[in-house]
Amino acid sequence: MNHLKRGFLSILPIVSGILPFGAVMGATFSDAQLPFWQALFMNVTLYSGAAQLATIELMKLKTAVFVVVGTGLIINIRFLLYSAALAPYMQKAPLWLRIFSSFTLTDQSYAAMSAHADSFETNEDAMRFYLGSALGMLFFWHTSTLIGFVFGNIAPASLNLDYAVPLSFVALMIPSLKTNNHKIVALVSSLLSLILYPMPLRTGLITTALLSIGVAWFLIGRRKKV
Amino acid sequence: MIEQNYFLTNTILMIIGTVCIRGSFIAFASRLKITPLTRELFTFIPAAILPAIFIPATFFHQGQLEMLAGKERFVVLLLCLGATYFVRNTLFCVGLGLSLLYALHALAS
Repeated sequence: MNHLKRGFLSILPIVSGILPFGAVMGATFSDAQLPFWQALFMNVTLYSGAAQLATIELMKLKTAVFVVVGTGLIINIRFLLYSAALAPYMQKAPLWLRIFSSFTLTDQSYAAMSAHADSFETNEDAMRFYLGSALGMLFFWHTSTLIGFVFGNIAPASLNLDYAVPLSFVALMIPSLKTNNHKIVALVSSLLSLILYPMPLRTGLITTALLSIGVAWFLIGRRKKV
Repeated sequence: MIEQNYFLTNTILMIIGTVCIRGSFIAFASRLKITPLTRELFTFIPAAILPAIFIPATFFHQGQLEMLAGKERFVVLLLCLGATYFVRNTLFCVGLGLSLLYALHALAS
């Protein structure tokens, strides 16, 4: 099977998490009484569910522009790490793919790619896989957002489908825990995320990630000394 | 109702910032000299950031089951973490988690 198709199919198991999230996004656009073209513009070009949900709520309260924009960017700053992790695969990527990736990098498409990183023989394989997973995300996200915008959040609450999002991240993280050091970093990240959760403007997320990478750096350095 | 110019100002500024963030390393990938140490460090990014997304999202979620202090999502997540470590299948993890949570709620009601 080619890597583009594998990338697209890698998104299918997490669709149950994407669909309700997208439906909530669409319903939020609708509740905020945004015209369809404005909802579409934000969804296609910003393409970041968490930041969109948070900033729509702030905009409904007429919050100052710098607070709205700052909140959105702080939530999205984690993409910096994904961008860094993708960079080694993108060194010979054509310009269009780099521009495409600059608009379409998401938690899910990155996590799907990192979970399959061992199966890529060349950077081209990795790029095709990423393109497939990003296209899969685009398709399911925009479809579910459109459904949410038109019909509201139609998923029955009793199914707890929103819970599929964290579950899919668990499954996508596990293949990346290749060594004991990776497991230690995941454990540190878990504990720090709970301690730093009360930080304002959701800065706990990026602070946890950066501190955990600092721990990884320390562990790599210590192993090299030994 | 969100005023149009206000919405567009906020959205366009966020788009510019987010594209810069997403494209930061990708745009200059061909010029970056990535050492083996940096490449190894990048392999830790999923372990550093994914738990920071799903652990607080489940731990701080207020559930309905008193016997688990409203932490049924967190408990189920830990069970799925253990099971998926051996099975290594995304669909299995999502299916198991949603089924367990549904069953717990059904039993409690």
